[in-house]
This record gives sequence, C-alpha cells and structure tokens, in this order.
Amino acid sequence: MTRVSSAARTRAFLRSLLLQAAWNRRGMQNLGFEYAIAPALDELYPDPERRRDAAARHLGFFNCHPYMAAAILGGAIHHEERVARGEESPATPQRYKQTLQGPLAAIGDGFFWTALRPFFGAVAALGALLFGWPAVLLAITIYNAIHLALRVHMFRAGYRQGDAVIGAIAAMSLPSAAERLRLGTAAFCGVAAAAFLVDGAQALGPIATALALAAAIAGQIALRSGASVLAVAYGVLLVTTGAGLVALRLPGGS
Amino acid sequence: MSSYLALAVVAGLAGVERKGVLQAMLSRPIALGTIVGLALGDVTGGLLVAVPLELLWLGAVNLGAALPVHEALGAAAVAGGAVLAGEALGTGVTMPVAALAVVTSAPLAVLGRTAERAIERANERLVDRAEVLVATDPAAAARANVRGLALPFLLPAVLAPAGAAVTALVVPALLRAAPSLATPLSIAWVAFAVIAAAAGAFSVRAARAGKVFFAAATAAAVVGAAVLAGVSR
Repeated sequence: MTRVSSAARTRAFLRSLLLQAAWNRRGMQNLGFEYAIAPALDELYPDPERRRDAAARHLGFFNCHPYMAAAILGGAIHHEERVARGEESPATPQRYKQTLQGPLAAIGDGFFWTALRPFFGAVAALGALLFGWPAVLLAITIYNAIHLALRVHMFRAGYRQGDAVIGAIAAMSLPSAAERLRLGTAAFCGVAAAAFLVDGAQALGPIATALALAAAIAGQIALRSGASVLAVAYGVLLVTTGAGLVALRLPGGS
Repeated sequence: MSSYLALAVVAGLAGVERKGVLQAMLSRPIALGTIVGLALGDVTGGLLVAVPLELLWLGAVNLGAALPVHEALGAAAVAGGAVLAGEALGTGVTMPVAALAVVTSAPLAVLGRTAERAIERANERLVDRAEVLVATDPAAAARANVRGLALPFLLPAVLAPAGAAVTALVVPALLRAAPSLATPLSIAWVAFAVIAAAAGAFSVRAARAGKVFFAAATAAAVVGAAVLAGVSR
C-alpha cells in the first residue's frame, strides 16, 4: 500500500496528542513522534526491514510546539508515502522535519503559549469572579474548540500539501492575532485586579483595601525590577499581614 | 483519607495532561482548582484560590527546553490544602485560609520544576530502550513513549496530597491559636490577588501590556466604586 488509510491517519493524529509523553533532554519529542507516526508506517511498509528502517529514522531528534507538530506529522506521512512509492529518498521525511520544526515551534510558542492560552486563562479567571464556575467551563470549552480545530486543520494541511503547508499556516496570520490577544489579556487582568479591590472594599472596608493596594503597588515595583513572581507574592503576603497586625494595634484600629 | 486519594488522582491526571497528553488547559490552575474543589466537596472554595493562582502563573509556559514552575502541582496542593483546612475549621475556604494555603503549599511548584528536570533525564532511558527495540520490534519501540507518563503522574499524585496535608494541619492550628491574624491575612489575600493579576498582565509579551493593565484597572475600579456607592445609598 502506498497511501495511508484514513483510519491510520486518524490514529496517527490521536497519538500525536501524546507527543510529549516521554519528553527527554536527548531526543526531546523523538519518542512521541515515532509513536504517533507508527500506524502510518505499519501500512506503508509491510516489509519488516523497511518498516524497521522507517521507525529508526523517526527516532532522531525532534522538537516543536506540540500543537504545531500536527502539521509536521501530516507532512511527514505525506513524504513517507512518496518514499514508499520510491519517489523520494528515505532521508527526505527527516529533512522535512528538521526544516520545519524550528519555525513552527516559534509560531506555536508565540501564538498558543504566550497569547491564546493566557488570554483564555484571564477570561476564565475574570469570568469566575463575575459569574462563578460556569464561566470557567465555557472559557475552556471555547479554547479547546479553537485549539483542536487548528490542530486538525494543520494535520490535514500537512498531509495534503507537504512542503506547501508553510503557506497554509502563514495564511492563518497567527502572529498578528497574537498581539491583539496579549493586549486583551492585559486588559482582563486589569479588570480582575479592580474586581479584587472592590470585593475587598466590600468585605474589609476602605482602609484595609487601601493598605492592600499599597502593598500591591510595592509588589508591582518589585516585579518590574525583575524579582521572581513567587518571591513577590510571598513578600506581599507576609509584609501585608505584618502591616495589618500593626495597623490593628494603632488607636482607631478595629 | 478518601479526600487525599481523590486529590492524588486528580493531581496525577493533571500532571499527565499538563505536558504529556492533550494539553487542553485542564491542568491550568483555574480549571484544576475548580476540579479539586469539586472532588473535595467545595467548588466555591477551590475557585477562590484558583482565580489568583491562574493569574499569578499566567506566564508559566513551557517554551522549548525551558521549564516553568510546576503550576499544576502548586495549584492542586494549594486548592486541596485550602479546602481541607476550611473543612477542619468549619468555615470553608475564607480569605485567611486561602492566604495561608498559598504560603504553605505554593513552593511545591518550584520543587516540581526541579523534579520535572530529573524526569526528563530519566526518560532518556526510554530512548535507550526504544533504540534497542526498534531493530526487532518497532511497535514495542513506539509504545515506550507511553511509559513516560508514569513519573509525571506520580510526582503531583504524591506531592500534592502531602502539601495539602501540611496545610490542613498547620492552618487550622494557627488560626485557632491566633485569631487576631484573620483580618491582616484577609488584607494580605486582597493584596496577593491584585499582585497576581499584575503579574499576569506583565507576563504577556507586549510592549503596551502595562499601560493597558493600569488603564483597564483604573476604569473598572471607578465603575466598581460608582456601583458600590449607588448600592449603599
């Protein structure tokens, strides 16, 4: 067989969801990639020796963004079909992977990890403050509808277009969407900060809230000067508790 | 005991989902805190800590070989500890309980990062095994990948209940011994939540993020204050 069946492609895609199961410092996602492409190789190479050679070449180093890797997996199956038909050298699939993994990792990190996911994290957090847990469920459902649709689309585009998948990914304009999502994230974080203060004012009164705000401003200065997030959080918790204890002992403290 | 078992299973599955399987945000603090609360019988309490933890660790992302803190382990331990401490006190998760739960359990997120590095090195043995197997049984070589899920499951499945147990032990004892800490800790919780939101905004890689954060916070605070003033009239 020199074409991979739809069922085997589906299994390969589903297995790609475990791409990083055995992430390691030497080959990074190599085991995951070999695991994902195995159903396609099983169909393409009934000859055991060719099957072993194909498996061995996919144990080589591989590292990409786990969502974007779907495009490379689809493209690698496309090239393996051509290798099986004798139209390409067995080295081509690995060259294809090596060429695309860096650029697609950069696009995936920039869009999914530093824009889309933080955006939905902030939406879910603010939604939870305003509407409770159903907002969390809704935000995560929408995030996954988008992320899984893009993963499936990129896998199909890679399989159908091979080297031309770059054009299909470029047409998605992910970097320009990322910038808008990042600013949206910052805005939702700002609204969440205000909601915390308003809730605090209702529960604790204006003086306590002013103290909390002063501590938070000091914490922001520390954050901007490069202190670690957890260290600043600890500092804010401990210093504010101490300041609160002192304030309560002052005349007029309640 | 069944609460700790439930926490271990939820935290372990989150540890696997976080990097090894799917990566569908289910192990992010906002989802995981809610799920832990649900599993332990206090969704509202889980959500109370989940919201600022999500914002605090919004920038905890795995870029290339760089490892972030293990935010899933931290969130599971803090949420689990807060719910169990609130249950022991009979108050549910209050602001003082949440603040102390962060103090006692959040450092596990840093410990988790160190452990994750060790797991990545341990996984090299799976590569060695696959490289040997591929010459005789390519299917078995491919399956070596799935074995890599064991340690990421075990790490939070063991450490999250341990952290939660410390929180459940220390926090009620402290708040019973020093009830005067309750108000200062509530103020500290509000300050922590605000700084978490700021940390979230500053973690996004956009030049104007800081300005947008302050503008949105100011506008929303003015609207909130106006609503509060209207309600109190």
